[in-house]
Amino acid sequence: MSVLDKIKGIEGVNVKVQRDNRIFVDVKEDKLISVLYVLKNIGFNQLSLLSAVDRINEEQFEVFYVLYSNREKVNCIVRTYIPRDNPKLVTAAIIYPPAHAYEREIAEMFGIKVEGNADAGKPFILENFKGDVPPLRKDFNSMKYVNAHFQPFRHHDEVELEAKDE
Amino acid sequence: MDKMTEEQYRAISNMLRKRSLWMLHYCTGCGAMELPPTMTSRYDMERFGIVPYVTPRQADILLVTGYVNVKTLKRIITVYEQMLDPKYVIGFGSCAINGGIYYDSYSVINRLDAYIPVDVYIAGCMPRPEAIITMFKHLMNLIDSGKADGYKRYKQNYEFYKNNQRKVLG
Repeated sequence: MSVLDKIKGIEGVNVKVQRDNRIFVDVKEDKLISVLYVLKNIGFNQLSLLSAVDRINEEQFEVFYVLYSNREKVNCIVRTYIPRDNPKLVTAAIIYPPAHAYEREIAEMFGIKVEGNADAGKPFILENFKGDVPPLRKDFNSMKYVNAHFQPFRHHDEVELEAKDE
Repeated sequence: MDKMTEEQYRAISNMLRKRSLWMLHYCTGCGAMELPPTMTSRYDMERFGIVPYVTPRQADILLVTGYVNVKTLKRIITVYEQMLDPKYVIGFGSCAINGGIYYDSYSVINRLDAYIPVDVYIAGCMPRPEAIITMFKHLMNLIDSGKADGYKRYKQNYEFYKNNQRKVLG
């Protein structure tokens, strides 16, 4: 029984095969943890990446887990969609311990609340970030933030004159 | 022998200074890639008396390569203030001038010379080793004529620079 058949046998998943060694698994948010648990038992022993995409037109975040099986040499990408307003996620750090740090990152960069992860929401990478929208959301106006907080570019002589005036 | 005036003393020390520049390279960005060929035998910047150095307290030049984000700006200011006078800052590549391709990034500052005084800029993405050597020769001329006065400007306009730094670093 191949690993693809095993994945197709899991209840409540939508499987799409892009290549022989790259399998996409779409899953609802409430089934996510149980599917990850089953996948780990099948042989996907490594969490390579956990990140999110802001699908602003569909009003939802896509959270994806890239899993890898050392035995089968297969990547499995588990995708789940959560609503954009009041986004919540349950921690996967019990199954894959490296998820702890990744969840802190998406909590900071996307403003996703992670239940069960005590550190999610604490300051992680950003230093002195003063914006009210998390920076990797699509509605974060980067140019406006830069103009408000950093010195805009002017010619070197102009700056010197300004410094001398003051 | 007559007594040396202060101007003569300064002229002689400037002439000697320009021939032994010890460089601290703060390699935050991709610009550091162009330094190994400049240092090693192909372009050999040691023939100009420029030596890469490891600690801020013994260095004359602070070479800031590439983009500077909010996190590294804090460390650059610490390093710059640890250095002893006379000290010169070089902005390397277009990212240090105006942000380069990171001009609209939420974490990369646009202009280095609003936070620390920059003596010489090198434009380009990336500047070739020839450009680096040309810049060093230009800096030597500035030192010789007494125009490389970034460290004096930092003291004179201390409040201006500190206000800008506080605005970013909080």
